[in-house]
Amino acid sequence: MFLRNHWYVAASDSEIGRSPLARMIMNEPIVLFRAEDGTPVAFEDRCCHRHLPLSMGKLVGDRLQCHYHGLQFDTSGQCVRIPGQDQIPPTAKVRTYPVVERYRWLWIWMGDPALADPDTITDFHWLDDPDWGAKSAYLHVEANWQLVVDNLLDLTHLAFVHETTIGNSALAEHAVVKVKRAPNNVVVTRWIIDQEPPPTFQKVGGFTGNVDRWQIIDFAPPAFLRLDVGATPTGTGAPEGHRVGGINMRNLNAITPETETTSHYFWGQAHDFEPHNAEMTETIFQQIQTAFLEDVAVFSAQQRNLDRIKNPPQLDINADTGVIQARRILARLHDEEQAALQMTAAE
Amino acid sequence: MTDTDGWLRVAALSELSDDEALPAMLGETPIALYRLDGEIYAIGDVCTHEYALLSQGFIEDGAIECPLHQAKFDIATGRCLAAPATEPVRSYPVRIENGDIYVGQNPRGDPGNT
Repeated sequence: MFLRNHWYVAASDSEIGRSPLARMIMNEPIVLFRAEDGTPVAFEDRCCHRHLPLSMGKLVGDRLQCHYHGLQFDTSGQCVRIPGQDQIPPTAKVRTYPVVERYRWLWIWMGDPALADPDTITDFHWLDDPDWGAKSAYLHVEANWQLVVDNLLDLTHLAFVHETTIGNSALAEHAVVKVKRAPNNVVVTRWIIDQEPPPTFQKVGGFTGNVDRWQIIDFAPPAFLRLDVGATPTGTGAPEGHRVGGINMRNLNAITPETETTSHYFWGQAHDFEPHNAEMTETIFQQIQTAFLEDVAVFSAQQRNLDRIKNPPQLDINADTGVIQARRILARLHDEEQAALQMTAAE
Repeated sequence: MTDTDGWLRVAALSELSDDEALPAMLGETPIALYRLDGEIYAIGDVCTHEYALLSQGFIEDGAIECPLHQAKFDIATGRCLAAPATEPVRSYPVRIENGDIYVGQNPRGDPGNT
């Protein structure tokens, strides 16, 4: 199941240049590159002639040249040269996708281009903000994209999967959890009051005693999870809205489906304490990356079972509230999109 | 009012806000307290479908929606309003005294099903 009429992260800005990059998104092969003036471009990665991936070709000025017979395409996707002939059929063109650079990511619109509005790109400004130190990365996940969304909405798993970094038993046993929902949004708020900080927080926060820890998870469809996370020394007023000292971070996640069973996981971690301390940014990043690699192992193991056993029965537990509400929103959006497509087809 | 006649003090009135369910224990029984339009209600907190805690769900139009599978129960009576549950939750009498919420251990009569 894919939701097409949405912006997705296709790549980090540094991945795209004058060498064409091939990337599969929602089972569609895509080629990404930059024109000479730096403008990013996205084509269907298939020459209209004999179907070779255009990503195997090369850029000649602003034209992408197919490796097979040398057809050249300009940045609008129009074929502008066919070696050995002068006339170019007007049907000689490849599909282009709207792309926008923002927050050091390249965003792509996978649906009807007429509906692509850059103002609807989800806000990830912390990744590119002078008041925050931040580092982003990419993980390839051998699992369906919704399993990654699930993982970020139920953080009890930190106590078991990430014991050496961001998890401890308090997260599973002592969290006060509230779930708020709206038609296209879920917010899961978790507070762990007067408990020991986990290893990562001790390392970067210098805590000498117990902390009040928060995890506020914002889900925006299709697959954007923006987490407000941190902790302050206990009893200094964080639950009442006063964050004094301690550490304050954002864990930012954008998942892009590759196929039904694999995903592109773009993520970043930002901090507003010592924001210009590059060593701090790197230390925090390494801690979270250690945790996320543990999640990646979990996702591929889940997917292996799901590949073997069709629609196994599922038990839901109290901690699944946010997960389930998000999946309901996605199912509804998918139904609405399918209904709209059928209406268009009928016209 | 004392703890005789089956009434138990379960919470302070100040703990119960307008838009949230307050889980509490009535002896060994999980219940939740709700305040709707100034009235306080107490109903069983375990969904009769697959045992989720209703107090973690969503309050809309005088009903509590189970957080897991969207069964619905009328907060005032415990009546089951929507599948996949089919059985009601128990509804208990409530009294307020000196800023404390007391709930009677004898549930009210069967409110019936959908």
